[in-house]
Amino acid sequence: MDASDAPPAVRLEGITKRFGDVVANDGVDFALEKGSVHALLGENGSGKTTLMSVLYGLYDQDAGTICVDGEPRTFDSPRDAMDAGVGMIHQHFQLVDPMTVLQNVILGHEPTENGLVDEATAREDVAAISSRYDFDVGRHLDARVRDLDLGIRQRVEIVKSLYRGAEVLVLDEPTAVLTPQEVERLFDVMAELTAAGRSLVFITHKLDEALTAADRVTVLRDGEVVDTVAAADTTERELARMMVGREVLFDREPRETAPGDPVLDAEGLRVRGDRGVERVRGVDCTVREGEILGVAGVQGNGQTELVEAITGLRPVAAGTVRLRGGDVTGASRRRRIEEGIAYVPEDRQAEGLVQDYDLVRNALLGNQTVEPYVNRHVVDWAAARDHAEDIVREYDVQPPNPRARAGSLSGGNQQKFVVGREIAHDPDVMVASHPTRGVDIGSIEFIHDRLLALRDEGLAILFVSSKLEEIRKLSDRVAVMYEGEFVDTVDAERVTDEELGLLMAGRGRDGDEPADEVAERATDGSGGVSP
Amino acid sequence: MSDADPGRARAAVDRAADRMLDASVLQRVVVATASTALALLVGLAVVAAAGYDPLLFLGNVFEGAFGDENALARTLKFATLFILTGVAVAVAFRAGVFNIGVQGQFVVGGVVCVVAILRLAPALPTGTAGGVALLVLGTAAAALAGGAYAALPGVLKAYAGANEIITTIMLNFIAVGVVGYLVEGPLRGEGNRAPNTERIPEYVELPAVAFDSPDFSVVGLAVALAVVAVVSVVMTRTDVGYDMVTSGHQERAATYSGVDAARTVVATMTLSGMIAGIAGAVFAVMVQGYYSDPSGVGTYGFDAIAVSLLAANNPLGVVPAGLLFGALDSAGTHIGINSDVPVQLIDGIVGLVVLFVAAPELFRVVAPRAGFGGDDR
Repeated sequence: MDASDAPPAVRLEGITKRFGDVVANDGVDFALEKGSVHALLGENGSGKTTLMSVLYGLYDQDAGTICVDGEPRTFDSPRDAMDAGVGMIHQHFQLVDPMTVLQNVILGHEPTENGLVDEATAREDVAAISSRYDFDVGRHLDARVRDLDLGIRQRVEIVKSLYRGAEVLVLDEPTAVLTPQEVERLFDVMAELTAAGRSLVFITHKLDEALTAADRVTVLRDGEVVDTVAAADTTERELARMMVGREVLFDREPRETAPGDPVLDAEGLRVRGDRGVERVRGVDCTVREGEILGVAGVQGNGQTELVEAITGLRPVAAGTVRLRGGDVTGASRRRRIEEGIAYVPEDRQAEGLVQDYDLVRNALLGNQTVEPYVNRHVVDWAAARDHAEDIVREYDVQPPNPRARAGSLSGGNQQKFVVGREIAHDPDVMVASHPTRGVDIGSIEFIHDRLLALRDEGLAILFVSSKLEEIRKLSDRVAVMYEGEFVDTVDAERVTDEELGLLMAGRGRDGDEPADEVAERATDGSGGVSP
Repeated sequence: MSDADPGRARAAVDRAADRMLDASVLQRVVVATASTALALLVGLAVVAAAGYDPLLFLGNVFEGAFGDENALARTLKFATLFILTGVAVAVAFRAGVFNIGVQGQFVVGGVVCVVAILRLAPALPTGTAGGVALLVLGTAAAALAGGAYAALPGVLKAYAGANEIITTIMLNFIAVGVVGYLVEGPLRGEGNRAPNTERIPEYVELPAVAFDSPDFSVVGLAVALAVVAVVSVVMTRTDVGYDMVTSGHQERAATYSGVDAARTVVATMTLSGMIAGIAGAVFAVMVQGYYSDPSGVGTYGFDAIAVSLLAANNPLGVVPAGLLFGALDSAGTHIGINSDVPVQLIDGIVGLVVLFVAAPELFRVVAPRAGFGGDDR
């Protein structure tokens, strides 16, 4: 791979970084070729972000050297790194929301004339950068950041780094906050940047993204480099094996139990979204004992509203929701929790956990009216603590400390805690919305196994995901949602990815072509299309 | 967590923010004590610059706050009122509801207490038994009135989306105006030259117990501490308190867990207003014995915001914070009478203390919302 005679844009040699007893990076070597995208792949906590924070001057390494353009450098602060042409796009954008795009881009580097900000020059410079890379940022220079979509905000961050002269850009899990369409756009942007000679480090834990967007992939595990390979010469399976040290099976396992009676029953459900537009437009669905009904679909086709209507977080405009035959359409969220609808929410950080609470206090979340945690309005904190300890132990939450602040846990560990807590409600129905989003592979497997085990114990599970492989791995039946309707409900065992893909694009309904390409309908399906 | 220039400054700000946000209770006590000392130091410099003897002034401060029984009683009187109103503010702030209307609820509670006692007195026996009954009934009436007056903006916020900061500020003016009119006219005591209600019967007044003071009673302080204890238990050991505090921390998580956000807002405002009403009752019975023009009864409900912030909105923390503010106010009263240092200068020094002591706490509350601090909170 080192065919070119030019020195790599960045070379890290023998980087070691310790935090107390924990070795976050252990003798890591890393070389970023000029004009290429280099993916840094690893599970949460494998040391990806630490390594890049060393490069970006946020941490001092304990050992090892940094070379930029062949020159050894030491960075004491992000400013030093920036001066050497290294920029970093953080996962959480560093933008001032009430200020305009232009103001954000030039912040701290304002061109001045007689002590005043020379806005005309700034505008020209920023517009030039934007148009050189064919970004749409130039059209939004006077828009306030808070009014923009996350995808554009990310491009604003990129323009900001370029404006400051970055030759090397480190993108820290840039796809985590993006919709699939925006991810595509980001990959285009990355291609344009490398075509113009910039070099990119792409931090991710998603295998397919690393393969799609990167030229080379370095896999980190437990702070060490497992291997560096060319993206063209490897496969998802091989990368997964390197990441977790074992094969990750995305294959279905044959099930041994059969579904039972219907537990959750929704009929003619219509639900409005935040802006009053009808987002769920007549959905019928049934989930039975010991069954996982997967809801597939491109994000934003009404899945969120459907889930919230079933769990009691959003009013129903029309239709009914029944739990074991009893009408709960108008029941409050709390009553639905008490009746046995557990919910692993899409947004665990905003909904599933109180970030400032420790795990003990988070163990009470949703259990405020449940014995033994609360008796006649009095909280039994000892019981809550035991509960938190049980979850932490059973779900292998790291660190295994019930007094740890929820916000200090990694995404995977947060999610394991939420799943564990929701299952402990001993529910009749579990609604799990994107339960593995932003979660490392080890935790994904763990959560998958738990869901399958619960299904075998007779739990009815409504499982929403936009990842086809996990939909196919877990579901018994798959309902495909498109523009607020279930386009079709198919047998997960027999449907193919291609067929699901067609359905997710809204094709295959009666009257639409090409219906004959669609999977065979599940014969036992109670889902399907409402007129 | 930062980005080139002004990355370094921002990083430093974030580090400082983190340190302050993560401060333990002990650290906060240290910060509060150090801030008070620093404020006094700066205040003394101002006093010296204005041409007065700073050491004499410092002596007057301590004398005024703790110098004799009189001073101590006065300090405790102010502290009692600051503690009660401070807890009223803390309850609301904890739950993420910004009740700036404690002053108005305090006034409404006070006048309702006096009126209730005056109206019910003829129907009840005189003497200790009647006095206790009237006190209990008057305080209950005050709590109900204060609670109702706070529930109004609570309902407006919960069901109509009206910003409670604005509505409660407006309702302060309305309370002061209406009660001012009432004591001027309809409620004015017969033959009173000043715009005051009639005095409540002597047997209803609180016994001084340990202090020979006309306007402080240990009973009043005991009521304040009892309210603190009850509120603290409610906030930390009951499901209602958990719902309220969780709403204050992260509203979406509270909703997810089954908390009815609208109802919690109303409940929080009502509880906060009830405590403010009790504060008004204690003020009316213990300090005044009648009710006067509310524009002149002191701004306990406003100062309580600083008290609560200083206590990090922790009901228990309100006790030392209330004592500090009580001592400062008491010292101010003393100096205003017994020294030639102008009153304005004393107010300024009290203001400095508030600034030095409360600003870090205010920062703690506001910073995460404004996006400071390294972690994503």
